[in-house]
Amino acid sequence: MKKMMIGAMTLSLTLAACAAETDEQENGMLTEEETVETEEGPRVMTDGAGNEVEIPEDPEAIIASYLEDYLVALDVMPAAQWSIGDGEGVQFYLQDELADVPTIPYDLPYESVLEYEPDLIIIRDEVEQDMLEQYQLIAPTYVMNASPTDWRETLLELGEILDKEDEANEVIESYDVRAEETADVVAERADGETAAAIWMIDTTLFVVHPERSSGAVLYQDAGFELPSVLNDLSDEADWASISLEELAEMDVDHLFLISDDEEPALTEDRLWQNIPAVENENVYTFDSQSAWLYYGPIANEQVLGFIEESLEAAD
Amino acid sequence: MHKEHAEKDWSPYKDKAFKRTVYLLLFLLVMILLSILVSLGSGHLTLTLPDIIRTVRGQGTDAHRLLLYQFRLPRTLLALLVGAAMASAGAVFQGVTENGLADPGIIGIHSGSGFFVVLFLYLTSLNEGSVPVWADRGLPFIAFLGGLTAAGLIYLLAWKKGVTPVRLVLVGIGINSGFAAALMLVQLRMSESDFNRAITWLSGSIWNASWTTVLRLLPWFLIFFPLALYKAKVLSIMQLGEEMAVGLGSSIQKERLILLVLGVALAASSVAAAGGIAFVGLVAPHLARRLVGGKFQRLLPISACIGALLIILSDSIARSVLAPSEIPVGLIVAVIGAPYFIYLLITIKE
Amino acid sequence: MEQIRKKELTKKETQKRLLKRLSAPHPTALILFSSLAVLIIVMIVSLSIGAASVTWETIADSFLSFDETNTSHLILRDLRVPRVLAAALVGAFLAVSGVIMQALTLNPLASPSIMGVTSGSAFMLALAFAFYPQSNYYQLIMWSFSGAALGAGMVFLIGSFSKRGLTPVKLALAGAAVSALLQSLSTIIAIHFNVARDITFWYAGGVAGVRMETVRIAGIIAVVVLAAAFMLSRSLTIMGLGEEMARGLGVKIGRLKVISTLIVLLLTGAAVSIAGTVGFIGLVIPHISKKVMGLDYRWVLPSSAVFGALLLVIADIAARTINIPYETPVGALTALIGVPFFLFLARKEGRG
Repeated sequence: MKKMMIGAMTLSLTLAACAAETDEQENGMLTEEETVETEEGPRVMTDGAGNEVEIPEDPEAIIASYLEDYLVALDVMPAAQWSIGDGEGVQFYLQDELADVPTIPYDLPYESVLEYEPDLIIIRDEVEQDMLEQYQLIAPTYVMNASPTDWRETLLELGEILDKEDEANEVIESYDVRAEETADVVAERADGETAAAIWMIDTTLFVVHPERSSGAVLYQDAGFELPSVLNDLSDEADWASISLEELAEMDVDHLFLISDDEEPALTEDRLWQNIPAVENENVYTFDSQSAWLYYGPIANEQVLGFIEESLEAAD
Repeated sequence: MHKEHAEKDWSPYKDKAFKRTVYLLLFLLVMILLSILVSLGSGHLTLTLPDIIRTVRGQGTDAHRLLLYQFRLPRTLLALLVGAAMASAGAVFQGVTENGLADPGIIGIHSGSGFFVVLFLYLTSLNEGSVPVWADRGLPFIAFLGGLTAAGLIYLLAWKKGVTPVRLVLVGIGINSGFAAALMLVQLRMSESDFNRAITWLSGSIWNASWTTVLRLLPWFLIFFPLALYKAKVLSIMQLGEEMAVGLGSSIQKERLILLVLGVALAASSVAAAGGIAFVGLVAPHLARRLVGGKFQRLLPISACIGALLIILSDSIARSVLAPSEIPVGLIVAVIGAPYFIYLLITIKE
Repeated sequence: MEQIRKKELTKKETQKRLLKRLSAPHPTALILFSSLAVLIIVMIVSLSIGAASVTWETIADSFLSFDETNTSHLILRDLRVPRVLAAALVGAFLAVSGVIMQALTLNPLASPSIMGVTSGSAFMLALAFAFYPQSNYYQLIMWSFSGAALGAGMVFLIGSFSKRGLTPVKLALAGAAVSALLQSLSTIIAIHFNVARDITFWYAGGVAGVRMETVRIAGIIAVVVLAAAFMLSRSLTIMGLGEEMARGLGVKIGRLKVISTLIVLLLTGAAVSIAGTVGFIGLVIPHISKKVMGLDYRWVLPSSAVFGALLLVIADIAARTINIPYETPVGALTALIGVPFFLFLARKEGRG
């Protein structure tokens, strides 16, 4: 138990360092090309709600709630950032870049949107027709075509909207290079082994969807095998609720545990200690402010870093 | 409340109390105007009275114009309509059931409408991936069907050689919990975002009001409120007791049914617009009865005004007191209304 | 002195004779023990149901030769046994407190969920989550207990102010109003303090994820409080004849009311802190057991406990199997059983 704690502590230290490093790389790469094309007139794009949206030439105040990761990756600062609980909860893993950006409630009340006088509103998910009409009164409102669960598609579409298609492609390319590095580490140290990311709130457990958020990183990019229990998980949520019973039965070799408790009560449990990953001391703990719970190139790249560091620290 | 007027005189115009009613109505309308101003001024962004005046005179900034005409005004008007509709629905229900404690929210009309609406949203989103536009527009009808189903069930189950007021309310409470449980079962099958939306909507919220929502409710109010006023006389006669009413020639069970449908239409259309806001339909008619007595020709318009006032003010509280969290207005009304209900319960004579 | 003692004696005699007359013609003992047997069988069946499939042999093994490294054994012992025990205990608690409430108030509609007791508990738990998120289980029980007292207190206060006392209908209405008030306040707290996720659970109700430590505490409450309740059964039977009669027969009404109220609050508070607001068990079960067992509470109380346990264990099995792999809130299921019953009673009651 103690060993695990120390492991986790050293881990989080190295992780912080790693995260900072990747940010620098990214910024360096992106600032090279910041040309603004001024000759073109306003472009018109068809959005996910079937509307023709006139995209302003050079939008200065963009509200794109829960898409901040992509904007930062494309080196665009939003006018306001996603938050919950009166601005207390933000996407903490992005705060190096977004520290000075004011917050807006997640459900985008009209008056809060109006407050920032945006010239472009981008909506990530489907929205009620009534609300859409109201947003359109404030500024051109673009509802994404791309599925919010596919970060590459989302990034490319945002690149198109913001006239930064080349940058978007470059971000994806450099991500794929980075992912291969991680895949090599996984192949070397945990070839053919299974992994799962579990989010623990008190005693309630959630497991990441195999094709979404950090799940896509774990299984598609880093190359971990999917535990058989998760194959028949029919839940359509990014993080599906899972019973301790199912977790106990899971043939998982590496467990990425996202929890804010210093010493989660569950880890004292006999059942918990019977999980293969726990028996082999392959449990890596992160707090819920880290990138695991989010979407986007920056979040995913941080997760890749976490995976590498975890495997290396485990040996 | 207990002052009974000369029962021979059915025309409200000859009555001395008519004058009193008119004055009261004028007073309430002024109060509503004032509360509208308060409501227009309260919210996340500041909009002062001078700002409002400037904007109305066409000198305001674009942002102020948008804020006032597109966001605040529809919201305030929706509050007004919902309050008036629910209060008059409550008055009708209290009249029909001859029971001072009947509120469409308490006896299950709201949860009936709510259940139908949520079920409908769930089923349509299953087929099309998201809720289609036509479904969104048809919500008042679905709510109306749900309300009618609830009312029908209550009436049917409470029927035992006629319907007594007490049994009706008691059965209504049961129907309410039944629909609430069924609602929970449907909600759990929804996606998390739909689930959250349903929760906020069901607690009674008008924060995302737009002209579309206002225009969706308006025709229902404009049709059914005058109809209720037209039937007010029948309601007044009903209060005299079954024998008297039959003697006056109106078939009491049939009239009851018509009035019930009217009440359901008023309650359900506002549920479709603003979710289940309970207790307005209880408090407003009671206060009205205290002020102008038990005749529904007078009671109905007064309670509609009080209902409108109540919701507009509650909505202002909801927006400002615990800001910036947006508390659904229905919760504020319940916190005000439930103690009043309890007070009535203590003082009522059975 | 002699005379007084004689008087006491005759009172005791009359009590005894009355009790004899009140006991039902049914073979009560047989019914009680056979339903107990059914309960045990259903509980064992319940052990076999869950996400991980478990054979009967494994179930037997997990008790006879428990192996700490065997995951199936651990699932049974650490997850399913506590769950089914919790369901049985909560069902028994709610049923018994319903019986006592109905006996005390002579009101067929009295029950924890209708009288605002459960929403009181849930309200205090909401407060606890908002202001003391680190509370442990003992503290949560205390919060829940005080909330039960708050809800019940409000309804009784309304009753005592009320001109002609709490008639069944008034009680139902007062309970509905108090519940509406407390639920609104809870929701406001939930939204403002962003603890909606925690609180939704208490409203939905359920015994999934109950741990052994919780069951142990509940077990202690069961032994102490249920025993105390059973000791009151004689007085409760006599109360059934009316307060005047009971007083005449030497029942100390004041003391009986205080102790019974405490028992009701403890049982309901414990039940809500374990399983959230599971409604209608406290309403339905007492009526059924009185129908089956007669009017003698020495039989009605224990049989209510068993029937209540049986109902919730079955409802919990349904909650697990209706919509696999999701859990259906057991509170919604008991409501679906309870509402028709309530409507039946309402038809009977609302004669006036």
